[in-house]
Formats: sequence, C-alpha cells, structure tokens
Amino acid sequence: MFIDLAWKNIFHQPRRSLVTVLLLLTATAILIFAGAFMEGSHQQMIRSAVEIYPGYLQITGVGYQDEPGVDRLIFDLAAVNHVLEEMADVAVFSSRYESFVLLASDHQALGALLVGIEPAREAQLSRLQQSLIRGQYLSDDDQNQIYLGRELAEKLKVDVGSSLAFVGSGVDASFAADRLQVKGIFQTGLFGFDSSSCFVNRAYLEPLMALANTASHVIVLPRHLEKTRELTALISRHLPPDLEAQSWQQTMAGLVEAMAVDSIFGYLTLGVLFLVILFVITIYTLLAIMARTREIGILRAIGSSQGQIFTLLFLEGIILTLTGVLPGGLLGGAFAWYFQENPISMNAWDEQFKQYNLAVSALPALFSWAQILRDMVIMTLMALTAMLIPLFRVTRLRPTEAMRHV
Amino acid sequence: MRYLLFLCLFILFLANTVQGQATEPEALLRQMEERLYGDTAMIRLAMVVGTRRGERRMEMDSYSSGRDRNFIKITYPAKDRGITFLKIENGLWQYVPRIEKIIKIPAAMMLQSWMGSDFSNDDLIRESLLSRDYHSRLITEDETTWTLELTAHPEAPVVWGRLVLILAREYLLPLKVDYYDENNQLIRTLEYSGFSQMGGRIYPSRWLMTPREAGQEGRWTRIDVLAAAFDIEIPADLFSKQALQRLSR
Repeated sequence: MFIDLAWKNIFHQPRRSLVTVLLLLTATAILIFAGAFMEGSHQQMIRSAVEIYPGYLQITGVGYQDEPGVDRLIFDLAAVNHVLEEMADVAVFSSRYESFVLLASDHQALGALLVGIEPAREAQLSRLQQSLIRGQYLSDDDQNQIYLGRELAEKLKVDVGSSLAFVGSGVDASFAADRLQVKGIFQTGLFGFDSSSCFVNRAYLEPLMALANTASHVIVLPRHLEKTRELTALISRHLPPDLEAQSWQQTMAGLVEAMAVDSIFGYLTLGVLFLVILFVITIYTLLAIMARTREIGILRAIGSSQGQIFTLLFLEGIILTLTGVLPGGLLGGAFAWYFQENPISMNAWDEQFKQYNLAVSALPALFSWAQILRDMVIMTLMALTAMLIPLFRVTRLRPTEAMRHV
Repeated sequence: MRYLLFLCLFILFLANTVQGQATEPEALLRQMEERLYGDTAMIRLAMVVGTRRGERRMEMDSYSSGRDRNFIKITYPAKDRGITFLKIENGLWQYVPRIEKIIKIPAAMMLQSWMGSDFSNDDLIRESLLSRDYHSRLITEDETTWTLELTAHPEAPVVWGRLVLILAREYLLPLKVDYYDENNQLIRTLEYSGFSQMGGRIYPSRWLMTPREAGQEGRWTRIDVLAAAFDIEIPADLFSKQALQRLSR
C-alpha cells in the first residue's frame, strides 16, 4: 500500500520529481565518469612513465639510486644474471651501464647520459625501440653507433649518419673517448629524457670503459606485472648484500605520490560540486514536503502514525533516488567504458604534459564495476541523507498545527 | 715645525710597519698564491686516484702563466698520452688524439670529475684564484699556523660557500683546506704535505684530496709533484688552442 501511495505522490508532482531524478542522474554519471577518468589517466601516466625507460623492477648497488657512483655499481653481473635465470616469474631481464659523458658534434659540446644497453633484450623491456622516429634502432653487433634522443640531436645539430665524439670516464676512472655515428633518433615524449639521453651497444662500450662483468642497473620485466612487489622481495633475498632490488612503486615513488595527491584534489573538487547538488535536493524536498503539510496533517488526523508518514515519505525518497542513481550509474559506466576503448586525445595539451615530464598522447578512462557500484552507493546514501532533514521536520508536526497550514 | 715633521715620519713609519707585518688575511692569501703558483710554473706531476676497488696512476706536465693560463698534457698511461687541456681565464678546452677534436668543456660540465679524479673541471679554473673570488678573515692563529676563513663574494660565480684554510707560518703555504657547500656541510678536504726544496723554493710535493660526503668513503686523489720550475720563460703560444693539438704528439 505504501509503495502505491508513494508512486501516486511522485506522479502527483511530476516537475519536482523529474528535477530531483535528473539532478541525481547527472551527478551520479559525473561522479562515476570523473572517477573512472582520473583512475584511468593516472594508471596510463604511471604505466608510460615506467615502461618508457625505468622498467618495473630495477637491481642496482645499494644506494646507487640516491647517489650514483662508480663505487656502487654491480661488479658481478654474471652472478645477478644467474639468479634471474633461475626464476620462473622473470619474463626477461637486461643490464645497462649509465655514465655521464661529454658529447661533441662539429657545432656543439654537451653533457649527456650515455647508456650501454643490450639492444635486443632492451627492446623487450622498455619502449626505446618503439620510440624510433628516424634511422634505425641499435643491434647487438653494432660498434660505434649511437641512438640519440630527438631534442639532444637537435641541440647538437646532428641527424642520422652524422658523426659525433664522446669523452667520459671508465669504471676504473680511466679516460674513455671515441668517435660515434648516429644510427637512429628516438622520441619518447619525455622531454627531459629525449634531451639528455643516448644509447650505444654495451658490447662496444665494454673495452672502452672497462665494463667487463659490470653494470649500473639490471632491469627485470616480471611475468605477472601485478606481482612485481612479490618478485622484488624474492629477488632481494637472493642478491648479495651490496645489491638491492626495487619495484617501480619504489623507484617512481614521487610520481605515484603525485598521482595520489591529484586524485585527492580531484575528489575534493567533485565533493564541492556534490554539496551544491545535494543542497538543491534538500531545498527541493523541503519545499515539496512543506507544500504537503496540510495533507500530512489530515493524514495524521484520520489516524496515520508518525512512523507511517515517515515511511511513506522516505519510500518516495528512495524511489526518486534509485530512479536517478541507477540510470546515472549506467550512463556514467557507459561513458567510462566508451572512453576506456576510445581514449581522449591529449595532443592539444602536449606542452603542458612536457612541463611535467609526462609522455601521454591519449588518456583512457578505467571501467571498473567495483568503482561504479561504490559511487552509486555513495550517491544513494548522500541523496537519502539530504532528504532526511526536511522529512524529520515535517513528521514532527502536530496534526492540528499542520491542518491549519495553508 | 720639527715636531710636525717628526710626527709625519712617525705616522709613515707606523703605516709601513702595519703593511709589512702581512698578517692582513687578504695579503696572506695573495702571498700564498704567489708561492704556490708563481708568475710562471712548469710542474711535472703524478695523479693517483684511489677507490675502494684499487688505484689508478696518471702522469702529466702542467705549464702555467699568471693565474689564468694553464696548459696540461697527459704523459702516462700510454692509452691516454697526448690528451691536452688548456685553461684561459674562465674557459676550459681539451684535445683528445683518439677523436682528433678540440672540445670546449660546457659550463654545465664544470662540476664533473676531471679525469676520473676527485678534482672537478671547475677546480682547474678556479683553484688558483681564491683571492679574487673570496673574502678572507683570520679566525685563529698559533705559533705555527694561521687559520683563514674564506667566504665567497656575493657576485663570484663559485661553487663553495665557505673555505677554511690553514696556512703554515714558516713557508706561507697551505697545510689544509676544508671546502663547505652553501649549507655549511663539509664536502671535501685538501691537504698539502711533503714540503721540500723544488725549483728554487719550498713547495708541497704531495696534495691529497679526500671527499667527506657520505658514500664517498674509500675515495681519494693524490697529486705527487715530481719536478717543478718557477718563474721560467714559457712561450706565449703554448696557451693557444692550436697548441692543444700541436703539442699533443
């Protein structure tokens, strides 16, 4: 009986009901889509930042990440390789030797990060090969050929085929210098990286820099990305005490934190928006119920209890809320799904992303049932809370007082 | 009138005495630099770089004229022989025979290690110009030493915030220099020892640079002065970019 009455009352005031439903529907859709977009874009930014170069899991000398130095290198690379070969959860791994050198073209001399890599393996670990824009990526047989970041090549005024020279120091503090030929140019989109990094085949660099059995990093790609932390702990247990393994959550802690802070600010902004929406709902409910004060007085006078009136009005509220929140959830979810499949192009914001050293051309949303359900529950509870205040007010009225209301 | 003349002479005498004492920190610093670098100098030296994993020795000839011109040629090991460096005022160039190229070291690389040692490129340029870039103050003195505190002139383009320099009174030469950064953190120490007769003057034959920062334990760079000659004729064309390549052989 209550439900019939509640429906009747809802249709009796179609405009008020429609506005409430529409408000709730829009708010729910916005909350779900905004949440999905924030999560999706943050995941995408972290993913590209990790995959472009740093990798999911790094092994270095203890303290090398904070203060790189020749005393903190991996001096027994073979032993580390042996540990990793034995592990089933390691998909692929590769060593790197990073060193700061002076690069000189005919026009310009600049400081740069020169990295000796194992080209074939590196291609499976990072996006270096995919980032090629001109010329060719390195191969395992290359000699004095260099793979340069686009901005670095521009600063040096060189292109594919040009010659360069590098001057640096070896692991044993000896002098290392040679002429190099530009084999390829890459662009990852990370401005800082593209303007300061260059790569050569490690095998070529070995005799020049006394690198035998030595590396600055070993990068590991876990077979199951979601189990990176567990694999990191497992590898750590098998490493000698002067080496450490760190997952991307540790090496990229700054970025992970920045994304969390961004999410907090995002939800705070949404929170303010919802407070306004809920305030409107409260006012609407209050006005609608006040208009029915006389009717409620009559109901009380003919014997309805306070509880019955409350149940009736609350039921109306629940019906209105669910009519708004359910399709709103579906609409928000549909948007989330669509933009997960069709990421939003961010080319217009390229310059802004560069400033934050992020390389993303398109940002997807993240479709997740858990998030949709969570947000729908939040909206329902918030809407019902907003309706409760006027409800309590009107059910407390005395029948005689209410009937005199005009 | 006679009294007035006497008074003038007395004042002149006093002024002279104060100057002559040379305990003015600025003057002490200038005299130290004069003794350490001379007008011109030719020094043959060995540089030994020590790390936790071993030592590496290099030998080189260094020619300097005044405080702002310096030419260095690596003579040992054979692999690096012929690498030359030229410092003129604030610029630093190097020539590497293997790549047949003269390279100007860019400003951004000035703090990088020089030849894998604990000296930086910047040290090569500025070490001899402390009196120009720093204001000095005498903080303590005893019977054998003066201790000066050097603080950078506000406009001086220098790396160190503060230096504490201990000078030996006997030779007017440095015994020890502590280098502090802008946060007053001790970064490294340079110690001079082995004072002996070289090139007609008393000269420290051993310079030991020790980094003091955490994580640098076990690192050091020692310069052993093998031979030195001061105030000799050095051809002016040695300090030119053409000489970098010409004298490399």
